[in-house]
Amino acid sequence: MTCAELEILLCDYVDGTLRAEQRSALEKHLAGCSSCAELAKDVAGVTAFIQTVAPAKPPAELLTRILHELPTGRPATEKRSWWKKLFGGWVQGILQPRYVMGMAMTVLSFSMIAKFAHIEPRQLRPSDLDPVKIWAGIDDRTHRMWDRGVKYYDNLRLVIEIQSRLKEWTDQEQAQAAEGAKQPVEGSKQKVESSGQKPEAGTSEKKR
Amino acid sequence: MATVAIPAAKWNWVPPYPQARTANNLDADAQLVERCLAGQDAAWEDLVKLHTRRVYSICYRFTNSDAEAQDLTQDVFLRVFKNLKSFRSGEGLFVVWLTRLTRNLLIDHYRRTRMQRATESIEDQVKVLEETTAVLARTDGMLAGREASELLQTGLQKLSPELRETVILRDLEELEYREIAQVLNVPEGTVKSRLNRGRAELARVLRRHKVRI
Repeated sequence: MTCAELEILLCDYVDGTLRAEQRSALEKHLAGCSSCAELAKDVAGVTAFIQTVAPAKPPAELLTRILHELPTGRPATEKRSWWKKLFGGWVQGILQPRYVMGMAMTVLSFSMIAKFAHIEPRQLRPSDLDPVKIWAGIDDRTHRMWDRGVKYYDNLRLVIEIQSRLKEWTDQEQAQAAEGAKQPVEGSKQKVESSGQKPEAGTSEKKR
Repeated sequence: MATVAIPAAKWNWVPPYPQARTANNLDADAQLVERCLAGQDAAWEDLVKLHTRRVYSICYRFTNSDAEAQDLTQDVFLRVFKNLKSFRSGEGLFVVWLTRLTRNLLIDHYRRTRMQRATESIEDQVKVLEETTAVLARTDGMLAGREASELLQTGLQKLSPELRETVILRDLEELEYREIAQVLNVPEGTVKSRLNRGRAELARVLRRHKVRI
């Protein structure tokens, strides 16, 4: 028996399951080969040592934890009907909250656009889906909305008040400017009459 | 001529691997799986109760951490719950299927935590030194089971994953060579070769910790 052959049989030898002739051949080799004898001694020694080792026991709460974590009822082994097999996969995917939410937002967006473009889904005809017509509708609605917005802005009370106040100020300035233009003419008349006093040209400007 | 230092009586011992999995056990496993597949909650509870110790033990011996072993055991059973339908009783034993699943999860975990272990290796060495000093006082007598368990853990961590898992499956979980070969997906000869190397390496490590082999 060679060392390689011994290595193959060593496990069975330690287990005590070798046939008598194999066992005697192996023991004969062990008696003459120190390295194999050392290997056999180590292997047998460790096997004996491990037999003295206390088993690793899981803590009691682990069982409870596992049972608590395990989903109840049937696992993925439930027999599914043919329509579930056909459609179950993608229907389940679609019915997830994010997809449902996305679809709802899409429907809402389209309905808003349709309303904005003045399209009535209940009385919808093929000719209504003409892009030119849709564009014209959107354009018309946009202009109307713009005009409505402008009108609304113009009718605001605050805007009216500001505009009226601005108008008052403009009128006042114009009146003052008119008065300032009259004064130099009167001054020149006084100069002629009282022989040489300069007219107060800066007074009107100061007032401004 | 070299003399074998092992007493002759040791070679005549009763094999330390009793026939733990009898035909009744196999039937019980198969029936339990059938009941689980039928959706019986009580069967799931029985299955978990029956196999938690084995799964936890493999995980604990491999990782040397109680917390990691508990988490991994839980993951194993969650995976069992999801994948039990892929088990076919005609193709092999449930224990082998479960052990293979556990082993795959452990290997994934080992690869995932490789970097973490590299940074912790220095701390481990310090810890081992402390343990060695503590064990020096107990070299003459038989070590207590718990102390032996801790020493075994220290030794197992020094083995490569291939050798470690083989020793755990054979010497601690008492699987047969054929079953270990199925779990590891290697020939039986490779299992025996790894087992010899693993045990010899373990003997060297234990001897360094002053354990008389």
